[in-house]
Amino acid sequence: MNRRGVLAVTVAAVPVLAAGCKGVGALGTPPRPGPEVAMLRGAIRAEQVMISRYRVAISGSPALRATLSPVLTQHEAHLAALRARLIVPSGAPSQPSTTGVARPGRAGPPADVLAGLARAESAAASGLLSRLAGVSPSLAQLLASIAASEASHATLLRGHRSTGHRGTG
Amino acid sequence: MNRAADTPAPASAALQTVLAAVNAAIYGYGVAGARLGPAARAAAQRNWTELQAMRDDLAAMLAARGARPAAARDAYQLPFPVHSPHAAATLAGYLEDRLAAAYLGLVALDDPRLRSWGARQAQSCAVRATVWTGRTTAFPGLKP
Repeated sequence: MNRRGVLAVTVAAVPVLAAGCKGVGALGTPPRPGPEVAMLRGAIRAEQVMISRYRVAISGSPALRATLSPVLTQHEAHLAALRARLIVPSGAPSQPSTTGVARPGRAGPPADVLAGLARAESAAASGLLSRLAGVSPSLAQLLASIAASEASHATLLRGHRSTGHRGTG
Repeated sequence: MNRAADTPAPASAALQTVLAAVNAAIYGYGVAGARLGPAARAAAQRNWTELQAMRDDLAAMLAARGARPAAARDAYQLPFPVHSPHAAATLAGYLEDRLAAAYLGLVALDDPRLRSWGARQAQSCAVRATVWTGRTTAFPGLKP
């Protein structure tokens, strides 16, 4: 997989050059991150929320652990891949803060937990597909693959809830 | 020789890659279907029929770009022996992942319509692979 990163600050825009030798106080306002950075941070935040949901679900519904743990592991892989794309210069916040990440409520009955997670997976997949325009080719491929993974999670969870069907019968 | 004239446009090259994957999947689903039980065989038949329609759509898309659609081969090398329903379902999942990889080639294009269409197709492939195998992967269509 191509892990080319997106610099969280546009280097060319850093006002160090304009500041000359006037010292740190003359550096001025930090530049705004580019749109790809904002998109990546949004995707990272969405994965963090999803991971939180799965952890709550597993702790609240131990019977679902075998089903949900592999999916949680895949979301953690998504998060790692997205974070690897974001190159944060020294001095900038190292990662999007987890402070303020929505904390899902307590897990309910297993069937409701699975239904809720399946809905969240479908929404996450749709959200990623809406973010493909204008990003680099390799990042678009990563986002599309993650979206495909999340759509398949929804299918897995819905199948587990109904028949547990496997395609051989 | 005009090298530029011999180099296919990126969109045509990516569409040819998808067409090749579709042709391989049509062959593979034919093999898988013969080893599956009745219900799964019906599902394989539906996928096989949809792939044939996709092959025709891709051929039309290529022709519209002035490219000649690559012909299917007479036979394809299977990735493993297929002698049981379980192996047949595993093959179907494998074929869908290879299709997803080909569709991700369209996602790498700048054309927003092909990019969006390729992403939706890759998603459908991942869903079908999960139906066949009962498993999911973190990065469908991408090499680990």
